[in-house]
Amino acid sequence: MIAVSEVSKVYPSQVRGGRPLVAVDTVDLTVQDGEFVTVVGPSGCGKTTLLNLLAGFEQPNRGEIRLDDRPVVRPGPERAVVFQQPSLLPWMTVKENIAFGLTLREGTRRVDQIRIASMVETMGLTGFENHRPYQLSGGMQQRVAIARALIIEPRVLLMDEPFGALDAQTRSEMQRFLLSIWGKLHPTVLFVTHDVEEAIMLADRVVVMTPRPGRIADILTVSLARPRQWDLTLSREFNEYKRKILQVLRPPEERDPVRLA
Amino acid sequence: MAYSMKAQADEDALLREESSLAEESLDLKSAQKHRHLYVSWLVAVALILLWWLVTAVHVFPPLDLPSPLHVAKDIYAISTTGYNGYSLLDNIGASTLRIAVGFFAAVILGVPIGFWMASNTIIFNAIDPVLQFLRPIPPLAYIPLMVLWFGTGQMSKFVLIFFCTIPMIIISAMSGVKSAQESRLRVAQVFGANRRQMFRYITLPSALPEIFTGMRIAIAVAWTCLVAAEMIAAQSGLGAMILTAGNQLRVGVVFVGIIFIGLIGYLMEVVIRTVERRMVPWKGKA
Repeated sequence: MIAVSEVSKVYPSQVRGGRPLVAVDTVDLTVQDGEFVTVVGPSGCGKTTLLNLLAGFEQPNRGEIRLDDRPVVRPGPERAVVFQQPSLLPWMTVKENIAFGLTLREGTRRVDQIRIASMVETMGLTGFENHRPYQLSGGMQQRVAIARALIIEPRVLLMDEPFGALDAQTRSEMQRFLLSIWGKLHPTVLFVTHDVEEAIMLADRVVVMTPRPGRIADILTVSLARPRQWDLTLSREFNEYKRKILQVLRPPEERDPVRLA
Repeated sequence: MAYSMKAQADEDALLREESSLAEESLDLKSAQKHRHLYVSWLVAVALILLWWLVTAVHVFPPLDLPSPLHVAKDIYAISTTGYNGYSLLDNIGASTLRIAVGFFAAVILGVPIGFWMASNTIIFNAIDPVLQFLRPIPPLAYIPLMVLWFGTGQMSKFVLIFFCTIPMIIISAMSGVKSAQESRLRVAQVFGANRRQMFRYITLPSALPEIFTGMRIAIAVAWTCLVAAEMIAAQSGLGAMILTAGNQLRVGVVFVGIIFIGLIGYLMEVVIRTVERRMVPWKGKA
């Protein structure tokens, strides 16, 4: 279980005399084991900062983050991250990239080949084991990155807009793919995105964040049945969720356009 | 159940599509590999023809510019009977040994020094001023010191080539370390790399492309230092051969020396390039 309690992150101003930037303001969030939580919001709402805090790349100025009652102080394999860019290592083959976490943990490149083969198969990467990452398409690269994270069986999988760089078609394929993987392995997932439909499609709960300062504006429990079909986005219930979220995210100038001038 | 079967079918379709994509990119790569090598040969032949033409119409007196045929005869003569007591192979061997020892010593010491400087500010501040101070000094200026300190034997030649090449190796290793991408360092952190693993799996491979570039520049510099090194009382070696022949106005022999320095330098470049392709196949792709 992840427990984020009253966490704030403030960056000093980039210009002299400017105001410090409150990226995340007093955020409270609990994620249960096996739960799929998405965080949605426009850029600047602090969603990536929140993920970086969970990953341990940065430390909060106030508040505390705990994973299974242990405070998060640095990056570690119990909180595997899938980045927006696949960030695979080009000097390793697909198989070696997937095995990377195991290699580091066991201190040798001779790691459990059966486990890797089964992960390759689960991820639909059969036949590409010995390819280099740059020989794969964007979608496949991201599947390798997900495999690399899942194989070390992390307590939680942190995903930072992992499909943001993909084209629409590949993105929706990858969403269905992620859901089928999640259905099989049930990892705890915290998934950051700016895409409202993606957030609803995947989630048990959607955390909606708004910028300046980055705050949680709303948390919605998505009670759409699983497995979720591709045409779910067309259903009335789905669009009900979408409307609720968009209402929260509605830009302020639309309420009062005069103040723009 | 229906969903999962459908999903499987979709995944397979996706996979097929992507595998053809990957093959397409491989095709593109092999197309680039068609390297039009005949162009290089054509240029070589054209240059020799031009050289022959210039000599045939006597632009310069034959004593100043020997013809290709004359030089070819000199190559044969030096190969069989030798020049100044040494055969062509002796000279090539002597020069290549000096380059190899000086250059490899520079790589073996320079790469760790560069890594060390990149990871430790105190070490950087200690070594960098010395390095930058020594860099612009021409190799000829070292000659009297080399003779005084290391005598007129092989050691002074090794050391001279070592000093000429090590700055480039150090600098390329240092900037190679700094070219390691933040995102890749983060990946290693996430998956729990210790310092040693971070170096082995991220920093070192990230630095390799720049180290190879540094080595390729350094090997050429080593050859330009060779003539200076062989001015130190050397009897054998291509540089020494050129110097002796120059004093005796044997221009044909000077040409032989120049041609073989060029050819061996080229050969070494090709060797390093081949090793680079094997060790850094991802260069320029990621």
